[in-house]
Formats: sequence, structure tokens, C-alpha cells
Amino acid sequence: MAFYRGEQGSVKFDDAGTTTATIASTRSWSMTIEKDVLETTALGATYKSNIGGLIAGSGSVELIYSASSADETNTFIEAANNPTDQGGAAFELFLDTTGTKKIIFNGLITSADYSATVGELEVITCNFVTTGTITTSI
Amino acid sequence: MAALDLNAIRAIVEGRLATELAIVPVIPVVFHNVAYTPTPGSTWAQCSVSFSNNNYLTMGSTAGASNSVIGVIVVNIFSAKGVGSGANLTVGKRVRDLYNRIVVSGVRFDPPTGPEVVATPSPEGYFQTQVRMTFETFEDL
Repeated sequence: MAFYRGEQGSVKFDDAGTTTATIASTRSWSMTIEKDVLETTALGATYKSNIGGLIAGSGSVELIYSASSADETNTFIEAANNPTDQGGAAFELFLDTTGTKKIIFNGLITSADYSATVGELEVITCNFVTTGTITTSI
Repeated sequence: MAALDLNAIRAIVEGRLATELAIVPVIPVVFHNVAYTPTPGSTWAQCSVSFSNNNYLTMGSTAGASNSVIGVIVVNIFSAKGVGSGANLTVGKRVRDLYNRIVVSGVRFDPPTGPEVVATPSPEGYFQTQVRMTFETFEDL
């Protein structure tokens, strides 16, 4: 059975929503896909019933600050400070190095945590939400 | 980007110490796996460089990824027995100042520990202290 380790993952991003590029020095990513639940229990029923509703995703990407500017990394870590964000940025969250197992969506960076601690690497955590379709090719 | 050259890092560590201790007053220094017969009652130093923890830093495989490589430097300082600790600590300060929070060619030296007095000197017949410090460097594959 094939298992995967975290270091096989990666993140690609493009603020223009077209050609994504790898975010440098990514340490981790996580994503939650949530579905609204609509209750459809009939009057007099013994058990509840539900149907699925609207779907949305959110998550975070943690990276080590490397002052990288030759790719999308700098745009990514500054995106939370963009007041005219239309939510059209392209995200690709990869689960393996072959590039075939990934979650694809458009979205926007909603917040960024910047930190510097004595004796430790400087880490930036960017949180995002999705806009529109989420494709899980995993 | 390539795997680390361990000997290049060793050369950085040892080169700094050799250069410093070659300045008057010159202190003989001996490095790992090198034979040395000290003059009785003299002041001299012994340096060893070891590589220890290696850790994942970033996602990626054998390309476009980074690792953290941590090492330890131990410098033993020997001086004449029965004449106090001053001369020994003077050398200890030189060693300490040489690495304290300094970054050289991508090698980051942490604040040193010591000079700590070693209760049972080895070899015997000397007053011995020890300065230890860790260093970290990043391997970009």
C-alpha cells in the first residue's frame, strides 16, 4: 500500500488566476472543505434526515520566510494586504511530488501571520478561503 | 543548489579557530583525529567538529527542498595546573568571541556554552575548560 509523507506535498499559486508557480519554502498546508447541511426531516419522522447544501473551503499555508521574490512567493505572503482582491487567485495544493494528486480552486488570502522569534526560523502563515468550484483530484 | 559539502563547513569552523589562535599570543590547536604531544605545562587547545541532527525544513523531494543540518563544536582549552584560571579563561574568551552569534558563509553559530571547568582533565596534568556551541546550516537541494 502506498503512503505519503508531508514533504511530498507542495503549493502553487498565481494571483492572476492563470499560470501557477510553486511557493518557495513551504513547510505545511492544510485545507478543510465544508458543506452546509439542510435538514429535511418530515413531520412525525423518528429519525432526522439531511441533504447537502453549499460547499466552501478554507485552510492555511505555512512557509519559512526566505525573501524570495523571483516567483509568486512574495505576492502570496503580501496578498492579505491587497484591498482589491477579487478572489480570482489560483491555488493548487499538492499531495505528492508527481503533480497529479492535488486540490484545485480559486480563492483569496484572508489573513497572514508574520512572526519572528529569537533562535527560530521566521515563519509566515497565510489563511485562505475558496471562491467557486473546488476540484479534488486526489 | 546541492547537497552540503561537510568538509567545507568543517574548514570554516576550524579555519576560524586556527587563524585566531595563530595571533600572538599563539596557542597551539589540534583538530579531530590528529596526533599531538603537548609540552608539559603549556597552553593549548583541542577542537572537534561533529554533525548531529538533520531535519526537514520545507516540502519537496530531492530538488527544490531545504534541510536543516545542525552540528556541535567542542573546544577544550588546556593550561598550566596550579596557577589559577586566568590564562585559560583568556583563551576561552577568544574562542567564545570567535563564534558567538556569528554567521559565516551560511553557517550560523549559536551562543557558546562555557568555558566550563572540566573536573577531570584529559590528558591529566593540566587545568582544562571546555567551550561548546552548536551551529546550523541549511542544505538547499
